[in-house]
Amino acid sequence: MNFASFILAQCLGALSQAAILFFIACGLTLIFGIMRIVNFAHGVIFMLGAYVGYTAALVSGSFVVALIVAPLVVGAIGMAFEWIFLRPLYGRRDGGAYLLLTFGLAVVLSELIRIIWGAQPRSLATPEALLGIVMILDQPFPIYRLFLIGLGLAAGIAVWQFLERTRAGLLIRAVSQNSEMVHALGTDVDLVRTAVFGFGCAMAALGGVLAAPLVTAFLGMGANVVIDAFVIVIIGGMGSFLGSIIGSVLVGFVQVFGAYYFQDLALALMYLLMLVVLVVRPGGLLGKEE
Amino acid sequence: MTQHTETRRRILKGAVAASALAAAPAYLKAQANPIKIGIPTVITGGYALLGSQVMRTCRLVKKMTDARGGVLGRPVEFLFQDTQGDPAICVRKTQELVERDNCRILSGVIVSSEAAAMLPKLESWSAVFLSHGNGDGRLTAELFVPRFFRANTSAPMGARALALYLKDAPQKKFMAIASDAAWGRSSNTAFEAQIKRVGKDLVDKIYAPVANKDYSPYITKILQSGVEGCYVALQGDEARAFYSQAQQYRLSQRVQFFTEIVAQADIKVLGKDAIGLMGSSRYPVTYDIPQNKAFVDAFMAEYKEIPDWTDGEMYQALMILFAAIQKAGSDEPMKIVAAMEELEVTSVKGPVKMRKCDHQGENQGFVVRVGHDKRFSEPVGEIVKIYPREMTTPDCRSASYST
Repeated sequence: MNFASFILAQCLGALSQAAILFFIACGLTLIFGIMRIVNFAHGVIFMLGAYVGYTAALVSGSFVVALIVAPLVVGAIGMAFEWIFLRPLYGRRDGGAYLLLTFGLAVVLSELIRIIWGAQPRSLATPEALLGIVMILDQPFPIYRLFLIGLGLAAGIAVWQFLERTRAGLLIRAVSQNSEMVHALGTDVDLVRTAVFGFGCAMAALGGVLAAPLVTAFLGMGANVVIDAFVIVIIGGMGSFLGSIIGSVLVGFVQVFGAYYFQDLALALMYLLMLVVLVVRPGGLLGKEE
Repeated sequence: MTQHTETRRRILKGAVAASALAAAPAYLKAQANPIKIGIPTVITGGYALLGSQVMRTCRLVKKMTDARGGVLGRPVEFLFQDTQGDPAICVRKTQELVERDNCRILSGVIVSSEAAAMLPKLESWSAVFLSHGNGDGRLTAELFVPRFFRANTSAPMGARALALYLKDAPQKKFMAIASDAAWGRSSNTAFEAQIKRVGKDLVDKIYAPVANKDYSPYITKILQSGVEGCYVALQGDEARAFYSQAQQYRLSQRVQFFTEIVAQADIKVLGKDAIGLMGSSRYPVTYDIPQNKAFVDAFMAEYKEIPDWTDGEMYQALMILFAAIQKAGSDEPMKIVAAMEELEVTSVKGPVKMRKCDHQGENQGFVVRVGHDKRFSEPVGEIVKIYPREMTTPDCRSASYST
């Protein structure tokens, strides 16, 4: 194995890690951008996605079905939660209520998952078609990780184009900038919020299903991921979708190369990157300073 | 005929009532004064699976022990607290067990750093703490306190058994990967010393952050190193993530894994990918002795599951504890301490001796290979070698070996 193939393998590994992180971070940043809510339950929603995906795959025998069912189910749960619990609080100015509510959702969902699926971890097997390896410059690399990179890229472009080129995307951006004005113009802002919250949850659930063949579905799988996602959102800029893409890639690379070259500092490097970004651009790379 | 039957029934009823009355005071006394065992374990969080195993074994042991008449004629009572795997929370919750519930006998702690945080408090709590699974070698070495005992195989003991086996294995070059926690560091350090002693080459060692998710950089490093064997001191979520990702890289086709702990929960999740995995076993479910057979049968009848290493080690720890209480004739902590020193018990893992010098249980060393055993419905660790306890237990108050 030569140095070039080694570096390429590490870069691909970093991109596959970034893809998983993107799915959770983009939902987090969209929810914050539209609703100014820091969703503490996002990590548990990611975990719920993995468990729902496990059950869907078990019942249907298909990983593809899991990729479709989990975001739909978890997205619907997210919309219901927003509609029932968050909507009555929009008139309040204190953000503490949202924090407590989403934190409460995280606790309740965690316990529900433990009651429904038990403490035993659940294995979601890598689909047969994605099980092999490809040799890239004499370096074996899993097809499944290439699939993650491809899917992450496709999802990133699709959501970006949706936000930039469709009327619904225009409304979402408008609500994120001035919801009162959009409401005055006759748009149902509450509906936009519900849809975005549900979409953010669905993206996190998709990330959970995709992560399950790498780490299995287990209690607590969302705890660390959500911290990574918060760091990404801060690096990219709170509420910036493109920022979440850039942040995911940066964190993915820092995690992979940091783990290889600076073992003892692997965890600290991500936070160091965040600190540097905040010093240079306090609002994040593509965010606005408030 | 009818009259005779009526008389017999009356006599029988009278006898049952009389024996119930005679037994009632003792029964009530026993109910009023159970032997309390505090179990500060992980109920929520990353190690919740291990905590759930501890709790289910405690419940089974209570059922079995109470059915036999209890310990010293008293029932046992387990009181559980959730430590979340956090040393600070563990100390706080244990303090509650001691002060509020008057529990002076403690066990079931999952994480070694939690156990280490408890040791300095034992004296002021007037408690005795029996480890069922804490692996960090330092607990019975430089961190030794008189009120702490370790019934289980420690990390250095697991690494030792594996190194003894690898002496004659074809692999010459090794890599080691461990969790960057007290247990993982203890395991890696012991393995490094042992593998070099048997003349093999440890090319490099890796410490992965606790709760790490992406093992691709480490797998690439192992691939790049050209080693033939890889020692893995990861457990639970970390182990499953590593093996799942290693399987995607087809790493097992190039490198033989030797794991510090072969866990049934991991085998169950990995399925056929686990076949061929070798390692040291804290508790080999396939060990064919009457004590283990009785435990496995009772466990599987109760839970319809194969007991994991935590179940076996917890069961062994409780059998040792009960033997010490019987020997002491009391559940007073310092009497238990005195009774447990030099205590010998034949448990599910065979003969175990709680040596006096550092309170480490001398356990046999087991090396297993995951395969199919017709007695079980899923793959299990099959014993390939057993090392006598004299060979696997480290020097006194030490995590290393002079021979």
